Amino acid sequence: MIDALEADALTKELLLKYLGQFILIGMVSIIFSRLIRQIPLKLCHKIEYELRADVFAHLTKLDQEYFRRERTGDLMTKLSSDINIIRDAIGQGLLQGIRTLITLISALVVMLLIDPQMTGLLFAVFIPTTLVFFLILRVMRRYQQDLQEHISEVSNFCQESFSGIRCLKGFALEKRRNSQFENLNSGLIRKTMRMQGTRQFLFPFMAFCFNLATILIMIIGGKRIIENNLSLGVLTQFSQYLFYMQWPILALSWVMSLMQRGKVSWIRVKAILETEPKIADFDFPEPEKLEASIQFKNLDLEIGGQLLLRNIDLEIPAGTTLGITGPTGSGKTLITSLVARLIDPTSGTVKIGGKDIRTVSLSSLRGMIGYAAQEPVLFSRTLEHNIGFGVENADQDLIGWAAEIAHLHGDIEGFPEQYKTMLGERGVTLSGGQRQRTSISRAIARRPDILILDDVLSSVDTQTEAAIMKKLQPVMNERTTLFVSHRVSTLRYSDEIIVIENGKITQRGTHNELISKPGYYAELNTMQQLQEKLEKGR
Amino acid sequence: MNTAKRLLSYSLPYWRWLLLALILILITTLAVNALPLILQRITDACFVSTETPAEKRITLLFELGAVFLFLAAFGHIIRYAQALLTVWIGQKIIYDLRLAVFQKVLRMHQGYFDRTAVGTLMSRVTSDIERLQHFVTEGVVGSIADLFMIFGIMGYMLFMSPILSLTIFATLPLLFGVMYFVNVKLRDANRDIRDRQARLNALVQEDLTGMTTIQLFNREAAAISDFNERNTHLRSAYFDEVRWFSLYFPCIESGQALAILLTLAVGGFSILSGSEAITLGTFIAFLAYVRNFFHPLGSLSDKAGSFQIAMASVERVFNLLDEEEQIKNPDSPVEPNRIAGSIAFNDVWFAYTGENWVIKNLSFSVEPGQVIAVVGATGAGKSTIINLIGRFYDTQKGAVTIDGINVRDFNKHDLRSRLGYVFQDPFIFTGTVADNIGLQAPGIERSEIIRAAKTVNAHPFIEAMPQGYDTELNERGEGLSLGQKQLLVMARALAQNPELLFVLDEATASVDTATEMLIQDALAKLMANRTSIVIAHRLSTIRHADRILVMRHGELIDHGTHDELMARGGYYKQLYELLLHSPE
Repeated sequence: MIDALEADALTKELLLKYLGQFILIGMVSIIFSRLIRQIPLKLCHKIEYELRADVFAHLTKLDQEYFRRERTGDLMTKLSSDINIIRDAIGQGLLQGIRTLITLISALVVMLLIDPQMTGLLFAVFIPTTLVFFLILRVMRRYQQDLQEHISEVSNFCQESFSGIRCLKGFALEKRRNSQFENLNSGLIRKTMRMQGTRQFLFPFMAFCFNLATILIMIIGGKRIIENNLSLGVLTQFSQYLFYMQWPILALSWVMSLMQRGKVSWIRVKAILETEPKIADFDFPEPEKLEASIQFKNLDLEIGGQLLLRNIDLEIPAGTTLGITGPTGSGKTLITSLVARLIDPTSGTVKIGGKDIRTVSLSSLRGMIGYAAQEPVLFSRTLEHNIGFGVENADQDLIGWAAEIAHLHGDIEGFPEQYKTMLGERGVTLSGGQRQRTSISRAIARRPDILILDDVLSSVDTQTEAAIMKKLQPVMNERTTLFVSHRVSTLRYSDEIIVIENGKITQRGTHNELISKPGYYAELNTMQQLQEKLEKGR
Repeated sequence: MNTAKRLLSYSLPYWRWLLLALILILITTLAVNALPLILQRITDACFVSTETPAEKRITLLFELGAVFLFLAAFGHIIRYAQALLTVWIGQKIIYDLRLAVFQKVLRMHQGYFDRTAVGTLMSRVTSDIERLQHFVTEGVVGSIADLFMIFGIMGYMLFMSPILSLTIFATLPLLFGVMYFVNVKLRDANRDIRDRQARLNALVQEDLTGMTTIQLFNREAAAISDFNERNTHLRSAYFDEVRWFSLYFPCIESGQALAILLTLAVGGFSILSGSEAITLGTFIAFLAYVRNFFHPLGSLSDKAGSFQIAMASVERVFNLLDEEEQIKNPDSPVEPNRIAGSIAFNDVWFAYTGENWVIKNLSFSVEPGQVIAVVGATGAGKSTIINLIGRFYDTQKGAVTIDGINVRDFNKHDLRSRLGYVFQDPFIFTGTVADNIGLQAPGIERSEIIRAAKTVNAHPFIEAMPQGYDTELNERGEGLSLGQKQLLVMARALAQNPELLFVLDEATASVDTATEMLIQDALAKLMANRTSIVIAHRLSTIRHADRILVMRHGELIDHGTHDELMARGGYYKQLYELLLHSPE
């Protein structure tokens, strides 16, 4: 068209024809342009959805040890931002990558066809430019990483200051803490500036290189025009293509870094999906109801190279209570975890009703068990929901009964909406003892054949403890119970008591048998009695 | 004050730099947009006009080319400088804000922390501030640069050809209207996405921490279906966003195409009709301008969208800064040289919320050097007493005095540095063992730290750690047992050498027998020769106390020595017997 203009050969008809073509092509390309965005973007959100659902479903299968090892924050990041990055890499990568390649290749072909010499010139400018660009990008990324680390240092510092606020105020540390924060904060400026120093350089640098290419084409092409070797139209067309190529090249580097990040995130997310659940579950035929007796046979447990349980042999007849005690960290909780298959033994077996629990499906095994942990996890739902957590369609009576047994009913009456009270940030915050009692109710609401109470009264004060034990005792008597405790007063009613020290059962017997044998239990008993007697003697 | 205005006030200290940034933006705009003008000159003067001889035209071509390059280099260098300056100003403003928020949080009273989750505070100092930073550097200053760019281009276009320019500008209101509409829709969609993502995250967070519980209670399927419900919700919000987003660029592209079309049409006809107003060079320069024009236009309307989001963050940050600090320092604090250490509660009433009195009409006094044990069932208001002494909370009625001076008349810092605290839950800071004991207080020597540790029986286990006193601990104090943490915290309290007062909240959690003995011994040493108030759970502490206060439902129901109280029978005796857990 420019050529026609120059040659004065352009008539009105011809102009109209060109304009008509332009409009038509424009309309088609706009519709096309929308589709080309909508399709890959929708696709990538679908992928994101599926991926997230898969990862979560997989997580529900993983064992306790995994969750203890991985930090929740890390897993959260993987489920949210990592998956988002993967989605962007797929979506934008597809979208921009394809567009860019198409534009670049087609522009290149056309340019080569029109004038190879000038195309060569363009490449002489572009190739070094692109190389330098990537070099800067790499430096920038290093600074970026550096900055990111500093940012997380700052946020860790804040986190610690806020969660330790009482200690901080108690020791009047505010000033010292503030000045430390100021240092970290200034570091943030310094590192940001260093990163931005490279980042902000990119755009002006690229823009200048395009200016350079433009003017080179103008000068070299222009010389040839003046020498009548080239038409002005070709030159204009060339500079138009140059403009077209400007964004795709910039976009290309962006897409490449996006893909790079996507790959890193994908590796992180894949690691979750590839983690095999250590507790293998198979679809075993539903057995007839197992008898609630528990046997440990010659059992060893090793975690991370440490032998945590050694040579455990246990026989717990159905309907009896086993008391477990021992120093902190000796392996008491591990025994209870083994029964619920939160962990599998390294060697030896755990049997319920004479059947190896590894040949029972996890759901029917755990269906028999009511488990209350020392530090229970409650959910931000209603109290009712939390107590009836392990029961399908729990009714009011059951929940009320369970709360009553755990001596929780009175507390609940005092809450704004009784059983409908929300727990957590949007509702009431329970005290440690209330949490433990809720967890006891949750366990017994299942009316389980096997009841596991793992040091569940440690945060409960002594008065409440006595009250709970009184109500809990009949419930414990009806079922097989594993009862972990530090207090002789609560242990003494067990049918058998074992003492675990350093992963080994060092003592076993009834309360009366054990107090007459020298050892941990007798010591514990005398210590608690000594204090008692000391008082009475006064 | 208006939020935006208030944000602006944070930039006031840097107005000189901002002015400089504006000038640099202006220079960049002028320089960079002059480039197509030179291209026009080249086309018109060197290529089209045939009157001047070829050599002259080539010389002119080289000259103009050199000017072009120089101008481009100059413009981009200035742009780089301007960008850095802008970023720096933004960082400075954010620095001030972040510091203000952090300091504010540390100044807040304990009651505020009771009802505000640490996570919420964290998102103020991290994500909200970060969003704000993005907005300030890229948003505000970027918009100014964009605006300048747009007006600059408009100016140059008008200068070159008023008719052509006006034709193109005529399409702008329509285009801007469409873009604004799409942007509003996009913003709504984005808000939905954020809300739904947050709800999904909350669920996931909880499920991940409670996964074992979920598995133990066979709730996996229910958890997955809850998750999928929220996940589907999130996806539909994303689909909404895609619908509008996919319209966005085609809008800009069609605007651009329309402008090119108009240029071609009007220009073409006007050249055809033999008008001299529009030359071929003008034509080419216009095509370049049109292209440059739409880029800032697009990014501008994009920033208009992010404005709303940033403003929400700003508002949250300002709300935090505006929180009332309930525990204030007095205007003219009393600073006695030394305090003897007598404490008195005079008719104190206190409630954490409303009229739920936790402390009712409490009066007692402690002589210097005495050890007072406070006993009572959970919720009797024991811990509240020590909270009131350190002014973590203020009383509603009555007064707490130290040496006859109302605690409200002390500077909070001064007051607390005279008190020594041992809290029930031992808090460990990231840092070395020595730092955790000395708290990096100026003037605390290593020898004093070791002495404190030895006194409370913490020295042996610290020595046994890999790097002894230089062993790095993390926040959770991993690798230390609960008992060891308690000893460490006692060493800390002792090393701070509080003037006369010790306030302790004894831990209830059980530790093994050997450690228990060490702790009891350490407690006795801590309290020797210092006025101490202990929320006691240990029999040994209670027995050795000079006086015991018996609390029940926020009231002081009895006091005296152990023997006196036992002789009197009643509630104390019951309590004591329960503490012994005597089942018979």
